Amino acid sequence: MVNDEQLSTHLQELRRGTVVLACLLVLRQANYGYALLDLLEQRGFAVDANTLYPLLRRLEKQGLLTSDWNTDEARPRKFYRTSAEGEQLADTLGRDWDALDAAFRALKGRP
Amino acid sequence: MTTLTDRYVDATLRRLPGRQRADIEKELRTAIADAVDDRVEAGGDPAAAEIEVLTELGDPSRLAAGYADRPLHLIGPALYHDYTRLLAILLATVVPAAAAGVGLVRALRGEDALTLAGDALSAAFTTAVHIVCWTTLAFAALDRLPRLRPGAARPWSIDALPERPSRRARYAELATLTVVTVLFCTFVLLTPVVSTRSDAAGEPIGLLSPWLWQTGVVYAFLAVGLAGLGFAFARHYARWSVPLALSGALVEVAAPLTLIWLVTTDRVLNPAFVAAAGWSPDTTRWIGIGLVAMSSLSLLHAVTDGLGQARHR
Repeated sequence: MVNDEQLSTHLQELRRGTVVLACLLVLRQANYGYALLDLLEQRGFAVDANTLYPLLRRLEKQGLLTSDWNTDEARPRKFYRTSAEGEQLADTLGRDWDALDAAFRALKGRP
Repeated sequence: MTTLTDRYVDATLRRLPGRQRADIEKELRTAIADAVDDRVEAGGDPAAAEIEVLTELGDPSRLAAGYADRPLHLIGPALYHDYTRLLAILLATVVPAAAAGVGLVRALRGEDALTLAGDALSAAFTTAVHIVCWTTLAFAALDRLPRLRPGAARPWSIDALPERPSRRARYAELATLTVVTVLFCTFVLLTPVVSTRSDAAGEPIGLLSPWLWQTGVVYAFLAVGLAGLGFAFARHYARWSVPLALSGALVEVAAPLTLIWLVTTDRVLNPAFVAAAGWSPDTTRWIGIGLVAMSSLSLLHAVTDGLGQARHR
């Protein structure tokens, strides 16, 4: 039987790349860190804050997201939005996900 | 109430490069404040909410590592095996050699067994600490400068597989060179304080000319020797490149040239030691000739080896 620690490691590894895809899809509408965390959770993508915040910066550095500081409100907020490049990557990753899903279904013997 | 957040943000930023800090601080503070507000609005106690939010964010060093996109290890898996192997070889050879060397000199000087054992042990300990420290430092640097490593600049191909015997032979050569360099440096640095001859006041007479120490030439010479060792390692682990080969060759040529210069200007042996040991002029001349011959051989080796390596690329 798989113990809890191993289980959480396996789940984490399985989900790692899906957070990137989810971010790229959700951020087609600009949003900021904390609200994004909330939104992802509502949409069924549980992700830790300490994973998401650094991830957003990494994606921005890779040119997959663009960002803008909104200083109109009391708290300055950094809004991220998926760039054209990010859109392309989301397309590619999405297709890959579909292919994987089909492959898994076939493995499990269901159409 | 805000002190906890301040401390958390400080602990995170402390581990980040300066240019990233201001931006990350603004974003992180807003994110923490948003999360706390959310919990307070839902009827939570502000202080408890702050603790909860920060606990959820987790260890600041992990968060900082995520931002910096930086490894949380000193020596990564690519080098770990070489690191432990080299360390084991060095510890198994140099430490006993250093202890035996010091013990032998003490025995020759007729020290009692307790001093002898104590000095040998302390020499072994100091040597071990130095070996571990410098080897670790070198590998940590190699781990952080991936450009120095093979395979970083171009994708790996089957051609990059090392030749089995020659790679092993080169590794043995590298280990031998390290041992010899360390022993040589230790020997040179010990000569002023450890000697088989002593003067009227009972002070040891160094084998090598005091002029070397007064001018600092001895340190420059040893530095060149250590640099040569460094380049030998670089050649073993890094991809061959013109700058690396040229600077390595320069360093390799510098040591024998310096030695030849020192011998021809009569600045190697300490005249006082020669007199105390009663060596004849012939003996010193032959030592000089031997050193020049050795230097010429290593010059020749540096040139042929350099050309051979260049031809193989």
